[in-house]
Amino acid sequence: MIDKDERDQSLESPLCDICKHHAVEIDTEIDELLETIWVLREKGKVTENHYRESGAGNVILDNLDRLKKMNLIYLKEGHVTFTDGGEKHARDLIRRHRLTERMLTDLFDIPRGRIEAPSCQFEHILSEEVTDSICSFLGHPSTCPHGRPIPPGECCKKLTKTITPLVIPLVDLMPGEKGRIVFIATKDRRRLRRLSSLGINPEGIVTVNQKLPTVVIHVDETEIAMDHALVSEIYVKRITDNG
Amino acid sequence: MSFIKQKKKSEEQIKNIILIGNPNVGKSVIFGILTGQYVVVSNYPGTTVEISRGNAGFHGNKYQVIDTPGIANLLPMSTDEVVTRDILFEEKDSVIIQVADSKNLARTLLITLQLAEMKIPFILVMNMMDEARERRINIDFKKLSKMLGTQVFPTVAISRTGTDKILPAIEKADVSTYEFKYDPFIEDAVKKIEGYLPDFPISKRSVAIMLLSEDMSLNKWLDEKLTPQGREEIQGIIRDTRKRYPDPLEIVINKERLQNTDRLIKEVAVIEKAPRKGFMYNAGRICMHPVWGVPILIAVLTLMYFFVGKFAAGTVVDFFMGTVFGNAVEGTGIINPFIARVLESIIPIKFVQDLLVGEYGLISVGITYAIAIVLPIVAAFFFFFGILEDSGYLPRLAIIANRVCKWAGLNGKAVLPLILGLGCGAMATISARILDSPKERMLVILLLALGVPCSAQLGLIMGMLAGLKSYAFFIWLFIVLGSMILVGFIANKLIPGETSDFILEIPPLRFPSLKNIAVKTLARIEWYLREAVPIFLLATLFLFFIDKVGILQIIRDMAAPVMAKILSLPPEVTDSFMMGFLRRDYGAAGLLEMARKGMLSNNQILVSMVTITLFLPCVAQMFVIIKEKGLKTAVAVAAFVFTFAFIVGGLLNFALNALGVVL
Ligand SMILES: Nc1nc2c(ncn2[C@@H]2O[C@H](COP(=O)(O)OP(=O)(O)O)[C@@H](O)[C@H]2O)c(=O)[nH]1
Ligand SMILES: [Zn+2]
Repeated sequence: MIDKDERDQSLESPLCDICKHHAVEIDTEIDELLETIWVLREKGKVTENHYRESGAGNVILDNLDRLKKMNLIYLKEGHVTFTDGGEKHARDLIRRHRLTERMLTDLFDIPRGRIEAPSCQFEHILSEEVTDSICSFLGHPSTCPHGRPIPPGECCKKLTKTITPLVIPLVDLMPGEKGRIVFIATKDRRRLRRLSSLGINPEGIVTVNQKLPTVVIHVDETEIAMDHALVSEIYVKRITDNG
Repeated sequence: MSFIKQKKKSEEQIKNIILIGNPNVGKSVIFGILTGQYVVVSNYPGTTVEISRGNAGFHGNKYQVIDTPGIANLLPMSTDEVVTRDILFEEKDSVIIQVADSKNLARTLLITLQLAEMKIPFILVMNMMDEARERRINIDFKKLSKMLGTQVFPTVAISRTGTDKILPAIEKADVSTYEFKYDPFIEDAVKKIEGYLPDFPISKRSVAIMLLSEDMSLNKWLDEKLTPQGREEIQGIIRDTRKRYPDPLEIVINKERLQNTDRLIKEVAVIEKAPRKGFMYNAGRICMHPVWGVPILIAVLTLMYFFVGKFAAGTVVDFFMGTVFGNAVEGTGIINPFIARVLESIIPIKFVQDLLVGEYGLISVGITYAIAIVLPIVAAFFFFFGILEDSGYLPRLAIIANRVCKWAGLNGKAVLPLILGLGCGAMATISARILDSPKERMLVILLLALGVPCSAQLGLIMGMLAGLKSYAFFIWLFIVLGSMILVGFIANKLIPGETSDFILEIPPLRFPSLKNIAVKTLARIEWYLREAVPIFLLATLFLFFIDKVGILQIIRDMAAPVMAKILSLPPEVTDSFMMGFLRRDYGAAGLLEMARKGMLSNNQILVSMVTITLFLPCVAQMFVIIKEKGLKTAVAVAAFVFTFAFIVGGLLNFALNALGVVL
């Protein structure tokens, strides 16, 4: 058993360091437990009785003592409640997990069915800084692809005024808005070339002229009409006129 | 691949001038200026599907000028680009003129950089300066010329401004001195690959870069020119280099080129922030507006209806038919009675008279139909289509129609061949090549064969239906459009393959130059006279003979029950349908004659119009289908269309009778 400080540290350090740690196994186990408690709480299940009823809850009952000893939760009249430390820890885990899911689906087009495993790995290894960068990159999304809430991080709070995501699909721009292309998320090389030959390249500046009946955008001095499907593969950062 | 063929030594070496550039930059206009020859110029990207060749001369130097399909990149992606790239390889003694749209510097220079890399002599013609200036794009041509080490000429091709400098510059054309380096790993690989390459019409460096970009179209050449060992080595180098980058090499290389063009642009051009406003800009926007676009589309079609259907097919045809040509038997008009009288007095042979002025006479029917009925309508349509084309309205129409096309497994791009089909089905079938996937080409060819009437036929149909109750035209339109969408929808499910992405460049809306439209219309009319009129005469001759030997009567007798039972039409209609196969409009012209003589009731007019619209495409179009898709497909298309036309006609007839509709 390792103490909490050391564990926290391992979460902050890069992957190779973690690998060196022998304690990683136990580590993830605790993490999974905390996450399960969080998810059950989202469903309104917070008592020992609830846990007994639901299949997932039994694991927690088996480990209640361990979690209590680590000062992550406490029990009061059959209610399982996070301690402040436990709350923060669980929340960060959930945040990393669900942000990873978002990243894998939105950026890399990985089907929803296949995002679980990598998300479970990433959640243990991302540092807070990296997490916040991903969060900003994705535009501070509020839900995971399954529709569950992503707990906001520091980065989100600082930007509460501009809830507008940083990187968004070009289709999400309103007519008249401008964006700088960040990347084009297609695996089809012909498509990529096609777009490229029309001047649609990363770093390029595009203006959306209209979205119906067909999307029409402006690049340099060229107006280009294209299908919705194509436009949603182009990711841009919105440019506002004041900078 | 043909570019490795050795060029035959001719005594007098004629230099080639090859025009290349992005689509829709004015290559065809410049080709016309250089050669004095007309090729179809249109404000629609991707319409130059064939290579034109013409001659030009200056100071005793003779040149062959070659106009190529527009390209975006010399790394070929489409067949067009392969064609253009191969011309560069093939024509050894040649000078390139890169024609560019001055307002699109980035895309221009992407090609320029590749030409520079190839080390082929070229000059750069910066066309469309008027539009660049209007958009406050200021280009320092002296500096650009100096940086590229080639001659650069600003022009406005449509007003011939600056174009006189092009030919004199050819002799001085030289390879560009511009060079730039790629990422070290790529440069390294290029050096190594160059070592394995034999001599080549273009620089080894550029070939090496193409190979690194994994240009598949070079594979065959690799097999022929290199030892298996050398080939293996090159593949090895490419594999190793590929490992160094997360992205495909092609993308890495392209990125570097783009960064370079950006750098060049910053040096030579100042783009003042000008608000993109102005009447034409706004008008262009309204034409593709989700709401306003539709009434504009309807207005355009209505205008076409009045111009082609009412004015040309009505007033003008009446004038030519009634007053000018007339009818010898009835003694109306001038020309036909006159010729009949003259013939009677000089050649008193009944057979010859019949052949020329009889019921199926070459003059009384062939020439009369071709000139008096079809020509005015075709001319009016081509004129109207020319305006649509040159103003840049058609791509906007494609945007509006994209959704509907999607139902039929097509995308908005299919609008061009379909609308062109209203002009001439054969021409349109050829232009189906501008579509990206074989499946779409097949669908469009099928729909063209099925339901798109050519202008003459359309004009006649409009003219005839105009005499009926006003909703008759809409019934016709509804049935024909409905049939096309239905057939497209089903065929889309049956024909394997995919619908391609819809990406279309929208050129600016321009005031069409009347001169260009006049020239274009005349060129198309000339084409019509040359291609169609002989077929008309042949068709008449054919009818004349099968009438004389009695076959026509046999066919009529055989068809009569079908005509009468299914369509409730008189047996003479069979003639029109047979003529309709020779030329669709010819068939409709026959029906118009019958209607004028009062041989058809209003209901019969509508039924026959619907049936003949859906009926077989004309012979010329059939030939093109055979050429494009093979005999088997062509026969299948014909058999389907034939059956379908009669089923729909029969259903309509049945419905009209059952509902007791009298038009
Ligand atoms: N405003 C303007 N239009 C031009 C100029 N040159 C050509 N055009 C128009 O641009 C369109 C495309 O020309 P075309 O020669 O068919 O281009 P191509 O596809 O490169 O052969 C036509 O509508 C021309 O009338 C020019 O210098 N200025
Ligand atoms: Zn955030």
